[in-house]
Amino acid sequence: MSSKRISKELNDLRKDPITSFSAGPVGDDLFHWQASIMGPPDSPYAGGVFFLSIHFPTDYPFKPPKISFTTKIYHPNINANGNICLDILKDQWSPALTLSKVLLSICSLLTDANPDDPLVPEIAHIYKTDRSKYETTAREWTKKFAV
Amino acid sequence: MDLGNNEMFLSNDMLHEKQGHNSLIEDNIITSINNSRRGSLVTQDSEFELDDALLTGSDLDYDYEDELDDMIVLPITNAKRKQINEGGVPNLEYECLTTKDIFNRMLERVNHLQPIFSLPLEDIIILMQHYDWNEERLLEKWTDKMDDLLTEIGLIHENGNLTVNERGVALKEDFECGICCEVKSVEVFSLECGHEYCIECYRRYIQGRLHSGNIITCMGCSVALKNEDIDEIMGYESSNKLMYSSIKSFVSKHHRNYKWCPYTDCKCIIHLDDTSSLSEYSRLHYSPFVKCNALHRFCFSCGFEIHAPADCDITNAWIKKARKESENLNWVLSNTKECPKCSVNIEKDGGCNHMVCSSCKYEFCWICEGEWAPHGKSFYQCTLYKNEDGKYNKSSSQEANKLMKKYTFYYRMFNEHEVSAKLDWKLGQTVGIKVKSLQEKIGVSWIEGQFLAESLRTLNEGRTALKWSFAVAFYSDPSHNLTKIFVDNQALLSKAVEDLSELLQIKDPELIMRRKPDFYNKAGYVQNRTNALMECGRDLLCKGICKLTD
Repeated sequence: MSSKRISKELNDLRKDPITSFSAGPVGDDLFHWQASIMGPPDSPYAGGVFFLSIHFPTDYPFKPPKISFTTKIYHPNINANGNICLDILKDQWSPALTLSKVLLSICSLLTDANPDDPLVPEIAHIYKTDRSKYETTAREWTKKFAV
Repeated sequence: MDLGNNEMFLSNDMLHEKQGHNSLIEDNIITSINNSRRGSLVTQDSEFELDDALLTGSDLDYDYEDELDDMIVLPITNAKRKQINEGGVPNLEYECLTTKDIFNRMLERVNHLQPIFSLPLEDIIILMQHYDWNEERLLEKWTDKMDDLLTEIGLIHENGNLTVNERGVALKEDFECGICCEVKSVEVFSLECGHEYCIECYRRYIQGRLHSGNIITCMGCSVALKNEDIDEIMGYESSNKLMYSSIKSFVSKHHRNYKWCPYTDCKCIIHLDDTSSLSEYSRLHYSPFVKCNALHRFCFSCGFEIHAPADCDITNAWIKKARKESENLNWVLSNTKECPKCSVNIEKDGGCNHMVCSSCKYEFCWICEGEWAPHGKSFYQCTLYKNEDGKYNKSSSQEANKLMKKYTFYYRMFNEHEVSAKLDWKLGQTVGIKVKSLQEKIGVSWIEGQFLAESLRTLNEGRTALKWSFAVAFYSDPSHNLTKIFVDNQALLSKAVEDLSELLQIKDPELIMRRKPDFYNKAGYVQNRTNALMECGRDLLCKGICKLTD
């Protein structure tokens, strides 16, 4: 059942590609995907390309996909291991959500971070107290790791 | 590792206790059905016990399915109120409940609220669930902004313009479900929002969420599923599971007034409405001990087993210390060996494997622990194992060593009684059989045979008190006169406990009946000594002779 649903999502993505990201299976394994997100133009990540690794659980879509950044990124809600703190990837997940909706949410997380629910408290602190310092660092990291 | 060790002995003990209780209670139930109640010979206390056993019989074999069935058949049971007498402190007015009891109470509240809200009961349940069953908070919000609240919680569908869809299950041909992406003729469920999904997907979705206790919404938006919807999709009374999980989270959030019984697999919840007397308890170094319907006794303050004469602070410190020190004890166990002859602990800090015990001069081989003499001829016949050089750092001061010795002594005593208590519970399992054989062989009534169970309970209480008294002794000033009295009291109780334990070993039914007065005497004595030790320990605490040093 999961594979049918995942194939449908893959077909939909191929039929109507979305400009801000691309995603597809790695090799033959339908349950293991890779995605790349363009850094949103109105954010310090602009110009960068960020890679993500996606694993669908066998009981997808009743359980959320496991998504993590493989490119290093300086962000209050993404830690050094690439783990993402996003409600719809945890308790707010609904089977009616799709991978493309999740990836769009991640894009908007890059534009609007959520420093009140941080995964990396140090970055969140800088984000809240010295916004320009945060932006500079994020831009440097983007140049260094994502271009 | 070391942590595990210590936890092991504690939880094992609890387990044993639990098993012991179970067997006793089951016996009680079986035999009490055979015998009609004869009250004349029973003391107040044991009659009380009997009631408990009958009441809780169903709770012990607690099973989810059972629970669901019970829910329909049984009327709401009024939980029994109990009291314990603790002398100088006010009695604790508490009650023992189950999740079902609490849920039934919530339903009563919901019925009560219905006229205020003028909403269907189902909707009020959702509202209450959203506000953690906190009526006041709900009413406050309700008067503030009624409609917003209903939308927020998903009781009203936001988009009023659309034609309101019908709630419920419908059969559809060639339906493509957005979740599983399969096209088939199936039953389809939808709420007023019109998001339709096949019933199989809904079932899997709900199944995964019944245990969270949170409101379940439509998969596509935030419209809430009511209990009747859940039952329609999942089948008969499934929503109760959700309600019980919701109540469970309610209990966890209100841990000041509600405590789960800490014993393994026990589903009882103790509810203490008025917690104002708890401070008085701790001021006088009493502990608020409570007893659940499965007869488990525990401390309401720290959630640990009965620990008198120690108070909660001493108990806590002792447990922490036991966890920490077990590392050291483990070191002794893993880096030393006992002399095969005189059992003194020997640490090998280098050199060859030819050991000479400094205490008894016995010569032996470190590797095989055999006598050294044969090793001389065929040298190193045991070098199959590598010689491990001691890594022990000798800098540890004498002071620390002394403290360690003191601790090890008390810990060993504590542990010994722990082990004995386990053996006692094994003994306990034979008591039921003994009572039965008394009935069968010499026609003693069940009620008359109860002195055995009573004695066993007294024995256990005595042991527990004795066990924890070593924690008190460890933290007490040894030079003080009262401490000496305390130690004497320990010895007296220890003797009394052993005597009673011996008496309980008797197997011959006739001899048991002949010695019945002995049982009463010894058990009474243990009880007195237990109380005396508890009082004495409390005295040490109140006078500051027993206090935490670090």
